[in-house]
Amino acid sequence: MNPSPATVFIVDDDASFLRSVSRLLRAAGYAVQTFESAKELLERLSPESSGCVLADLQMPGMNGLELQEALGRLANPLPVIFLSGQGDIPTTVQAMRRGAEDFLTKLSPKEKLLDAVRRSLARDLRERKQRERLRILHERFAALTLREREVLGHVVRGRLNKQIAADLGINVRTVKLHRTNLTRRLRIHSVAELTRLAEEAGWFKDEKLQ
Amino acid sequence: MVLVLVFFWGPLCPAQTATGTEHPRAKRVLMIFSEGKDVLGNVVLEQAVRAEMQKASTNRIEFLTEYLDASHFSDEQHFHLFQDYLGKKYAGQNLDLIMAFPSKDYTLAGELPEALFPDVPVVFVAVNEMEVPFAISKLGVTGIIQRFDFRGTVGLIMRLQPDTRRVVVIGGTSETDRMALGRIREVAQSLDGIEFDFWTNRPMAELPGAVGSLPEGTVILLSTVQRDVTGQPYFMSPLAQMLAPSASVPMYVLGGWALGSGAVGGAVVDPDVLGARAGHLAMRVLRGTRPETLSIEVATKGTPMVDWRALRRWGIKEGRVPPDGTIRYRPHSLWEEHRNLILLSLAVFLAQAATIAGLLAQRAQRRRAEAEILNQRVELAHVTRVSTMGQLASALTHELNQPLGAILRNTEAAELFLQNEKPDLREIQAILADIRKDDQRAGDVIGRMRSLLKRRSLESKPLDLGGLLEETVTLVRSDALTRQVNLVSRVPARLPVVYGDRVHLQQVLLNLILNGMDAMGGCPAEERLLAIQAVKATDGSVEVAVKDCGAGIPPDKMERLFQPFFTTKPNGMGMGLAISRTIIDAHGGKIEAENNPGKGATFKFTLPANHN
Repeated sequence: MNPSPATVFIVDDDASFLRSVSRLLRAAGYAVQTFESAKELLERLSPESSGCVLADLQMPGMNGLELQEALGRLANPLPVIFLSGQGDIPTTVQAMRRGAEDFLTKLSPKEKLLDAVRRSLARDLRERKQRERLRILHERFAALTLREREVLGHVVRGRLNKQIAADLGINVRTVKLHRTNLTRRLRIHSVAELTRLAEEAGWFKDEKLQ
Repeated sequence: MVLVLVFFWGPLCPAQTATGTEHPRAKRVLMIFSEGKDVLGNVVLEQAVRAEMQKASTNRIEFLTEYLDASHFSDEQHFHLFQDYLGKKYAGQNLDLIMAFPSKDYTLAGELPEALFPDVPVVFVAVNEMEVPFAISKLGVTGIIQRFDFRGTVGLIMRLQPDTRRVVVIGGTSETDRMALGRIREVAQSLDGIEFDFWTNRPMAELPGAVGSLPEGTVILLSTVQRDVTGQPYFMSPLAQMLAPSASVPMYVLGGWALGSGAVGGAVVDPDVLGARAGHLAMRVLRGTRPETLSIEVATKGTPMVDWRALRRWGIKEGRVPPDGTIRYRPHSLWEEHRNLILLSLAVFLAQAATIAGLLAQRAQRRRAEAEILNQRVELAHVTRVSTMGQLASALTHELNQPLGAILRNTEAAELFLQNEKPDLREIQAILADIRKDDQRAGDVIGRMRSLLKRRSLESKPLDLGGLLEETVTLVRSDALTRQVNLVSRVPARLPVVYGDRVHLQQVLLNLILNGMDAMGGCPAEERLLAIQAVKATDGSVEVAVKDCGAGIPPDKMERLFQPFFTTKPNGMGMGLAISRTIIDAHGGKIEAENNPGKGATFKFTLPANHN
């Protein structure tokens, strides 16, 4: 699953402004797609879409904050930069709290805008990689047998083979075998790495190892 | 007569004695006076005796009074008629006590009761110089004799009038009179440097003339005149009344009853004091003490007593009256005379005052409330004005930011495109077309706003500019206070009537005033003076000037001051003055700004006085 090239998705109900921003970003070397409404953007986005969203806050139909919320529910949420005619403080706070990359006015200096776009794209790339790694981890984890998951649960809690064997009522040699198998399947080489990955993948949180 | 009485009294007396004070019957006291009712002293004395006895007794006492009137009917025949009359009148009446008030002799206290009511105890009260006859004490009669206090009276004269060099003594020729004079002579001899002149050989009828020409430093001392040189009887009180008005010098008397007749006063017999003592004595007898066991009291000490009116007449200071003395006939003060009325009035007054105070308090409260309401209204109006401008500004910001933002981005894009080695000219062309369109859009926004203002400002009415200025100054007063700006408005009483829209003109004023205050934000508080002035210009128009003491307007910015979106404030919109100019233009006036010769700037606008 290779992602599409990074694109700046611009949403604004003002066609003229939409055009002007699209021109600036194109001139700055970015791939750009423009949409006159939030709905249109959501329809056209695919899971492979990568990049960021540059959206007006006040738009007829779905407004900027609603768009941000909808994007958040996607498998690959794109970072959002808001551009507003005039933002009030409560709206700004709300947008930033929900993870907006930046909140700019339409008259903000070019440098600020381009900087925000650059940061957003980097963030998207970073987050996308992270998500990919986790996805792979989950896949490998899913390939483990039930007994291997049980052993894994005990291992990441720092228990010795003898203890695990006693707890599970199996032979110590069998425990050792399970451990070898699961490290191979997870492509992990140390207990420390195993613990870190388990935490990163949210296995503790998900209680999948209980 | 005597027999009859004995006959009646004989059997009754033991029974009376037996029952004693428990007898339910009211005690009957017969008071016999030598003189008539016209002798003031007797009337006062009688009242005092009665009062004392009634006060001391639990039983009712019945007083019966008879007057011999000896000075008018002095013959023996009259006396006998009186005696017969009494005998017949009181025959069979149960008398418990006889009180005699003799004046010239003791017949009334001795012979008469002895003859008529031999078993009734007698108490007498005598005020004169008479020696008590031996017979009286033998009869077992008791009483009080009050002598005149000559020494005390002369002492009082010396105290009240220390400059006295001569005392004219007016006296009579009777035996008693001579005795009195004799005692005065005794006193006189003990005093050095004061001449005593005894007028005893002159008929009293002549005296009113004679006393009218006495020289200063002289006083008159009226002794008793029971009989003058012509044989005419006189009493002290009427005699004093006869002499006092014409006397050229103060006159003194010996008897308290003569007080009030024009005399200054004297160390006199006080009828009240004497009456009380006599009443006390009478009660003892009435309760069963035998009179013969009680010795006759003789008193010589008088009470210094003066007539307030006479003090005034002769200019004698009240302070000279000795501390134990009494001042009579002083007019009651308002307080003494109308105490209840005064108290009532005071109560009414206080009640009224309280009511008035209550009403005033209520009124003050209402005024405070009204002031507060007004204040709130003013604040509300202020908030409304400001928020109206704020809303307008907010809407404008959004509407204008779209085209402005587009222009900005397009320009930035064009710059970047032009950096390419082979710029896409068609793209540049499209950009320029868009910029032109967006510029048009921005202009349209301003136009819409203008038409909005125009729609609102259609109302052109005669306007009291002075009142509007005052109202506006009131609106910003608290704001000025907070910013420590001294707000001064000078508006002439009469300004020509201008036509215009009150709301919009107020917006202009508010704008200029708030700008002025903003401009002084960086000045020391004591320099923050904002002057608002309205004057009538020569062409009949009215000019309003708002003068601040702030930083002034940089000369290079002067030209653009009224252009939209031009501002010198960090967070300014640059619309205030543009809107103001639109409004003033719509009124057919002019608005301009200039820097003051000293500090700060002045914004002025004119409004034509004629309605076009």
